[in-house]
Amino acid sequence: MDGVVGALINTNIKYKSGTCTAEKSLYTMNPVTETPESQVNGMTTTTVPPGSALKAKSRPRKAPELQTVERRNWLIHLHYVRKEFDLCKHLIREQLEETRGMCEYANYVQGLILRQEGKIQESFELFQLCNILNPSSVENIKQMARALFLLGRHKLAVEAYLQAEDKLDKPDWELHHNLGVCYLHLKDYDGSREQLMFALEQNKHHQTFAVLAKLYLLVNDVSSAISTYRAAIEYFPENGDLHTALGLLYMQTGKYQQAFEHLGTTLTFDPNNTRAILAAGSMMQSHQDFDVALAKYRVAAQSIAESPPLWNNIAMCFFGKRKYVASISCLKRANYLAPFDWKILYNLGLVHLTMQQYTSAFHFLSAAVNLRPTKGHIFMLLAISLTYLDDEENARQAYEQAVRLEERDPSICLNYGIFLHNHNDKEGAIKMINEFEVRMVKFRHATGADLDTEIIENGAKLASLLGVDGSVFRKKPGRTRLDAQDETVLLEKTASVTDTLKPVEESVCQSPPPVPTAIPELNPSEVPDAGNTAVLVPPMEALTLEEPPAFVSDSSNARGKFLASARLQFQEDESKVTDTENKKETPNSGFAEYSDDIFD
Amino acid sequence: MMTENERWLTAHHDPLAALYTFSACMALADLHGDGESKLIIADLGTGAYNMKLKVYKGTSLMSENTLIDLPTGVITFHMDTTEPRVPAVAVASGSYIYIYKNLRPYFKFTLPTLEVNSAEFDAWSQARDELLDVSMLYEILDSLRQEVGECGLTTRSQRFLMCPDHASQATFLNQHKGFILKRQTVVTCFATLKKSHAEDDAISCLVLGTESANIFILDPEAFTILNSGKRLWSLKLPAAITCVETLEIRTLGLTLTALGMADNRVMIYRDKHLVDTIYTEDRISAMKFGRFGREDNTLVLVMKGGGLLVKILKRTARFEIEEAQGSSHALAVKLNIPKKTKLFVDQTMRERENCVLMHRVFQHDLYRLRLNTARAYVQSLETSSNPVSLSQTEPLKLSAQVLGLGPTFKLRVELQNTSSTSPSLQLAVIFHCDDRIYSVNKSYIQIPILIPGVIHVAETLVTCISELGISDTVRVFVVKGKASRPLLTAVISMPVAEIFMGS
Repeated sequence: MDGVVGALINTNIKYKSGTCTAEKSLYTMNPVTETPESQVNGMTTTTVPPGSALKAKSRPRKAPELQTVERRNWLIHLHYVRKEFDLCKHLIREQLEETRGMCEYANYVQGLILRQEGKIQESFELFQLCNILNPSSVENIKQMARALFLLGRHKLAVEAYLQAEDKLDKPDWELHHNLGVCYLHLKDYDGSREQLMFALEQNKHHQTFAVLAKLYLLVNDVSSAISTYRAAIEYFPENGDLHTALGLLYMQTGKYQQAFEHLGTTLTFDPNNTRAILAAGSMMQSHQDFDVALAKYRVAAQSIAESPPLWNNIAMCFFGKRKYVASISCLKRANYLAPFDWKILYNLGLVHLTMQQYTSAFHFLSAAVNLRPTKGHIFMLLAISLTYLDDEENARQAYEQAVRLEERDPSICLNYGIFLHNHNDKEGAIKMINEFEVRMVKFRHATGADLDTEIIENGAKLASLLGVDGSVFRKKPGRTRLDAQDETVLLEKTASVTDTLKPVEESVCQSPPPVPTAIPELNPSEVPDAGNTAVLVPPMEALTLEEPPAFVSDSSNARGKFLASARLQFQEDESKVTDTENKKETPNSGFAEYSDDIFD
Repeated sequence: MMTENERWLTAHHDPLAALYTFSACMALADLHGDGESKLIIADLGTGAYNMKLKVYKGTSLMSENTLIDLPTGVITFHMDTTEPRVPAVAVASGSYIYIYKNLRPYFKFTLPTLEVNSAEFDAWSQARDELLDVSMLYEILDSLRQEVGECGLTTRSQRFLMCPDHASQATFLNQHKGFILKRQTVVTCFATLKKSHAEDDAISCLVLGTESANIFILDPEAFTILNSGKRLWSLKLPAAITCVETLEIRTLGLTLTALGMADNRVMIYRDKHLVDTIYTEDRISAMKFGRFGREDNTLVLVMKGGGLLVKILKRTARFEIEEAQGSSHALAVKLNIPKKTKLFVDQTMRERENCVLMHRVFQHDLYRLRLNTARAYVQSLETSSNPVSLSQTEPLKLSAQVLGLGPTFKLRVELQNTSSTSPSLQLAVIFHCDDRIYSVNKSYIQIPILIPGVIHVAETLVTCISELGISDTVRVFVVKGKASRPLLTAVISMPVAEIFMGS
């Protein structure tokens, strides 16, 4: 007679004060309809504090009342579902003390709470304990499996789920869904698909659809993923997440019309769905619909004010509206939030080029190129900024790199051709104008559209300066000018537009690229190498490692007259590259913007 | 915070009502047939004692009945056709349903006992007849538990298995063996079901849900409903939900859903549109909507801290869905973009004018920075003043720690051979410092053979002897044999001694 009984008596003393009055009222109560004697007796016993030795002695015929172990389960449950964990833990502690840790449900809820608190291992141990207390319960095994899954031990989780399945007399969709997810993590895609399909047969659950679609995407079966989402939407026509996922998938496959429909549906049901807003906004942007896109982004900015892609896209809207200062502000915020996103840096470079801030442009572009050394377009912008910074040698190398890495875009060749021409390399310029022509033909062939008229005109100008037959350029524009101004996604635009698009898709679905930093203190042995990669300059051969040229350039005399003649060409060069600057505007027009109200 | 909601009037507010209850433990009914609806609350008291059935008439507490165990729920229902039509109050608690009429105890219903496992029954019968001793009984019940699980046993067996030792088990057995073995369950929730007519005051059956996963319908016939549906829509809410109540407003022909939130408010939804919010001073713990007093649309709220709040819906209140409420709100909000500054404009102008020069100066300085870095690195390699040895013959790694507050510090040097196969021999650690500031206990420590991978720790005490309260560096050299050049060097910046001997 120690611990337990003692505790029982203690609690009973607490009851006592209340008990007496209750007893009185029960005794005095006068049933209208006669109740059977046994029931009346039963009633009086409940008023006897359980385990009270005195009472038991005075009425030996009555069994000492034992309190049911499960009597407070409902209360624990109620507080648990209300997320009142402190109260819940308190109750559980009392319950476990009273039952010497034998109350299965108290242990079970304790496990659930610990899981919510992130203590997975401890929660696993509690579910194990529950399983020992009640080996016949499938729930306990399922929770053990869940804990194993959360601990990343997918193989063991699968085993546990299979064990649970053995004990079930009828299929359980949740179990098969979870099995499917486990197999997915184990890269057993066939097994996973089988389980998920089976789960769907039992119960159409939106999560199962989503996992199945993800599985198809992992094995690059986009059409199956699309049909899975379509099937899911039939069952859940108001589920914004499913519509968004399908819309994004359509976007990836280039079916912009369908994509827009589904994204629109999402926004009907859930106007604050930020993923859909970003995706739809980027599509509006690509149609030059900057004000509508901005209106959407404003909604998104309420809930995801710290999203780098959002600020990037807002910035590119302002860029499209020629509000360059606002654009820079937004891009800098995006860059602050995601310092290693090369697209934001690229856009920063582009806007600074437009603003004729070539030094700043160079910095952002060299940072971008360090993060993504395989992108030809960055090298092209880098080359342009270097040209303005009077660094001919490095500009030339950057152009070489750009032409090598980007094999399709004709504008790189044209810019390089103009550069070479301005630097008196006629032979190289002719080579480039020819390459430009080849690429242009290919582009027309591939897309059925034509290049920006401005590019073609500049190509023609260069061709005539070089004395090459520029008929290809002269003939076409007449025909294509009309559609080029309207609908075709202009190639130069893709430089900026695709970059507003891509971050949406990428950073919505993926994490930013790994961060290539070198911290010399941690591995001093690598300092010489780290020194090279950590700087802002592209890792090209001697691009900026060479001794900077003397500040009083002796070449100025030699090049003086050339520069004068090249001035015009440079302007053309610039206006093409940055593309959004209207040709009619003077190069200084950037500053005219300052006087406008660039903030809405 | 909204000051006063325009749709609801506060009829009563008692922050000190000290109620601990749930929505299921609240009911509104005309208990006396006088046309005035009363509020019935089963109060859980402290959660262990002081449980009461409280009835409020208007704003005052009308009666209080003590309850014996924690109440699970309260329901009012008509159990007969007698006039006047006065409903009975049913309180579920433990294994019983207590029924009150005219607020007086009237009837108690005990849940039917569950079937006792035959093996368990036999074991206890044999124990009673002393065919089994205590430890044998324990073994039988324990193995039975592993077979059917804890919840498959009677409370008596469960409690018996909880007894920690032989003596207490024997006492328990003696105390209980003479009585009938019963397996009881508890009520977890309950509701009513109209028996034959749908009128408000028609006779109802009580529907009980129990811990043993059974549903009992009093006025029997038990059945279970298996239903599976799909999720139509879901809303993401700003906080955890503590309770839910349906607001059936007959005058408007509306059915709304009220959600009690953990962030001190009640959100009222019409389908999935938020139509109203009531802000409160505390978390909502329980809600009941219905006729209270003579007011049809009353919302009774019980706070977590025990407060009682009664809100009456104004007759003029409407719950129209405001179209596109969210987006119009967002449209008005401006994007937070920093203003351009004069400095920004000036710097832009400066850059435009001097970009070539700026670029060259920057590149020049960057080049020099790299050169200096490379030189410093080469120098440190040449003088072995780095803590990682790169020599092919003795690849070593050194790390040092300073422990203590002073004036005596412990210097702890960890030395590791980073090669894969070759052990290092004849190593020693030498501490070097300014002898006016520090005195080193063991300035020379011989290191035994250093096996690859194993970390060897060399420790010494260093005492700060300077009274100037300054700190300096201590150099740690690792030398091999009689070589004059160290293999590695670590420079340790000592902390300032916080305590001095003299003072």
